Amino acid sequence: MLTDAVVNGITAGSVYALVAVGMTIIFGVLRAINFAHGEFYMLGTFGAWWGIETLDLPYIVSIPLALIIVATIALAVGVLVMKRLIDQPFQIGIVATLGVSLVLQNAVILIFGGAYKMFDGGWIEPVEILGVSLSEQRILIVVAALAIFGLLELVVHRTRFGKTIRAVSQNIEACKVVGVNVPAVVIGTFVLGCTLAALSGVLTAPVTVSLYGGMGTSITVKTFAIIVMGGVGNVSGTLFAAWLLGLMESFVASYLGLQFRDAVAFTALIAVLTFLPGGLFSKRERF
Amino acid sequence: MATMQLHEVNTHGSHIYNNPRHGLRITGFVVLVVALAAAPLVAGEYQLHALIVSMTFLLPALGLNLILGYAGMLSFAQMAFFGIGAYSSALTAMRWGTPFWLNLIIGGLAAGVVAVPLGIPALRLRRYSFVMCTLGFAVIAQTVAKNLVSVTRGDLGLSQVPRPRIALWSGGFEVTGITSYYYLALTLAVLAVVAFLALVSSAAGRYMIAIREDETLAASVGTPTWHYRMIAFALSAVFAGVGGSFYVHYFTVISPTVFDPFYANTVLVIVLGGGVGTVGGVVLGSFLFVAASEALRIAPDLRMIAYGLLLIVIVFACPEGLLPLFMRKLDGLKGRTHVA
Amino acid sequence: MSPDTLAALSIRGIAKRFGSIVAVAGISVDIKLGEICGLTGPNGSGKSTLFDCCTGLQKPSTGRVYAQGLDITGWDMHRIVREARVIRSFQKAVVFRALSVEENLVLCGQMIAFAGMASTFGVGPASRHRVRRLREQAGHLLELVGLSHMRHATAGQISFGQQKLLQFASMLMPEPRVILLDEPMAGVNPILIDRMMENINRANREQGITFVVVEHNLDAMKALCHRLLVLSRGELIADGAPDAVVRDPAVVEAYLAG
Ligand SMILES: Nc1ncnc2c1ncn2[C@@H]1O[C@H](COP(=O)(O)OP(=O)(O)O)[C@@H](O)[C@H]1O
Ligand SMILES: [Mg+2]
Repeated sequence: MLTDAVVNGITAGSVYALVAVGMTIIFGVLRAINFAHGEFYMLGTFGAWWGIETLDLPYIVSIPLALIIVATIALAVGVLVMKRLIDQPFQIGIVATLGVSLVLQNAVILIFGGAYKMFDGGWIEPVEILGVSLSEQRILIVVAALAIFGLLELVVHRTRFGKTIRAVSQNIEACKVVGVNVPAVVIGTFVLGCTLAALSGVLTAPVTVSLYGGMGTSITVKTFAIIVMGGVGNVSGTLFAAWLLGLMESFVASYLGLQFRDAVAFTALIAVLTFLPGGLFSKRERF
Repeated sequence: MATMQLHEVNTHGSHIYNNPRHGLRITGFVVLVVALAAAPLVAGEYQLHALIVSMTFLLPALGLNLILGYAGMLSFAQMAFFGIGAYSSALTAMRWGTPFWLNLIIGGLAAGVVAVPLGIPALRLRRYSFVMCTLGFAVIAQTVAKNLVSVTRGDLGLSQVPRPRIALWSGGFEVTGITSYYYLALTLAVLAVVAFLALVSSAAGRYMIAIREDETLAASVGTPTWHYRMIAFALSAVFAGVGGSFYVHYFTVISPTVFDPFYANTVLVIVLGGGVGTVGGVVLGSFLFVAASEALRIAPDLRMIAYGLLLIVIVFACPEGLLPLFMRKLDGLKGRTHVA
Repeated sequence: MSPDTLAALSIRGIAKRFGSIVAVAGISVDIKLGEICGLTGPNGSGKSTLFDCCTGLQKPSTGRVYAQGLDITGWDMHRIVREARVIRSFQKAVVFRALSVEENLVLCGQMIAFAGMASTFGVGPASRHRVRRLREQAGHLLELVGLSHMRHATAGQISFGQQKLLQFASMLMPEPRVILLDEPMAGVNPILIDRMMENINRANREQGITFVVVEHNLDAMKALCHRLLVLSRGELIADGAPDAVVRDPAVVEAYLAG
């Protein structure tokens, strides 16, 4: 039971980490919380499910298909909504992205129906590692999360795009003055962040199996808890906070009962906000 | 520092004082109440039901308007307080057969009492942290309602909640017909609006507006800002709790779904859509966005898409909401301009 | 270093650090009751931070502040206004922009008229009477500062100079004993500057209010103040009669260097 709990916790944590890192970089450039973030996770899952069920594609092909669909939707939302949030008071950002989340979530329910769907794909054969039996998909999730975090560190620190993102995060006014195309950076970051959330959804679907239109909401709130715990803009902090949350949830689910799992994130969030307003890994207050 | 309002310079709060349109406002209120009182003569049963539901939502909406529009804090805890009011009122009535007026008070007080310990850590937070803390509270409230099975019966929820019994203590009569329910709801709504107006036009209301405008400046002229933010938070919970109490004795059932984001979003749309920081706007909002969609029997998913689009359009196109927009059009027609 | 219990403000070894920045480096000074005291110094020399430490906006890193012998160190801002009657203005936040000019004044007077918290919730005749009294008082003050014709205008829409006059009038509403003004004349046109100085003088003469005024305009300071303090890099470098202080070589040096 203990090893199961640990394995489950790390897997779930890696899933959360991929979603949360997207939200963190979006917050960095826009200073706005994306309330629709979980919806992009949900859209990723639905995209892959649709590819498998309707187009009869294999899982491996449905992954890029889902990512392309989500990136397109994110681009549209970025152009229509997110771009306008630059320099707006934070409550505008909350309300606007909440609106986006309502539209996306209920559009999916309208199109595909509100009932639970079964996800039939992925590699769920169990393998034995160090005496622990776990599915290939779980290994894939953890490896993918680590790879993506490594890649992100490279992108953020080595590429032009990454440098622009960092510059805008640090001083948006100065960037405007020196002629950085801030709206383009915002839209680009938004598409990147949302696509990461979608990737997380696609990779998790074979493990969680069931999917429904409203599944994004709890992801959004957990993601927020993670970026607060990890410290905003702190990429490795995000990964550790996500694993920590995954582990805490997994232990609570195993030892107290599954029904308490979804309250863990918020209990932790409220505790961190109250006692460590800068997050677990930094001293500075960022919100 | 200053908790930002939705609009940088929001001038609505000041309308309650020396309002050039004060007369118009009172006339409008009286006309609306008379029209609503006459509604059962023409409206069918379903329309009356729609109006009752919208007047039920008016209460948590007034509560949100108080903290968002007057004290400047965006809270997602409103429907959690609504649910707390509903559950506590239902449980008391089921166990002790308490009369309706006492249930309302219990519902309101229960919500207000829970708001205080939540407010102690939450009100220290600013911006996103506060918003998220209130959202988290709603999640936790739902978890409790689902899992405290011995009290709440979990996901099944409570059913056969007593109907409102109008009596001083024992005896009296039970409200059953839709028309009686309707008048009960109307009475409650009118009382709530009057109480709200009294509150925001009192000295305390002026302090709350000052806090919304600039918290540091407010403190510098002797406003105990923390206390008034706490009071606004707790009173907003009381409004929601009373609404929840009425709701549960009308529908006679309650389940943890009351904590679903659906309801919280509805309240947000009412306040932002109607006009944050105005009372008329919130009244307009609840009739427009709840009664209309109930009456037209729009499916929940379509309604939510409409709400979502509405939220996006509102924040960018008319952050003050519809009522101020109408009022400006009205003034434009009369060729009159006024400051603020 | 015992406090002067007769002083309007007795500042004892106040220092304030922000991380490695030393904004105020240990200042001790007494502001006498009834005086108009100027406070000047280059930008960033710690004038506003000193005000912040005296009025509860910032907690000083070390040192204590007394108002007529009352130790107010670490008190909340609203309590310092209410119980010690020390009130301050801000450089940037000037008035409640959404409220009307008159409502700004009524709000600031509520602290006196509605002293207990419970009374602020009243809506009966007694409360209405109190508000009426506040409006009368506000009307009187608006006449003094020359803003009577704007009493119903929205405060955010009047000119900046007029806002500063309104701010000044607002600060008289809570019946203060000490007023700390942070650059009341910056960005104000010369005619309104004269009016502002006249008002400070009158409030000092007629109501015996003690003033500490931060200002860069040394001519205005010489005309207005009984005494002038100069800060440089968080330290008090001069204290005395305005005419003497402006000729002090250390002061000239600080300004040229700053
Ligand atoms: N909240 C703060 N955090 C960090 N540094 C501050 C803060 N407030 C003031 N300072 C610094 O303290 C010094 C004094 O500032 P201030 O008191 O505003 O000067 P003055 O009012 O004389 O122009 C400056 O170097 C300023 O940058
Ligand atoms: Mg200054």
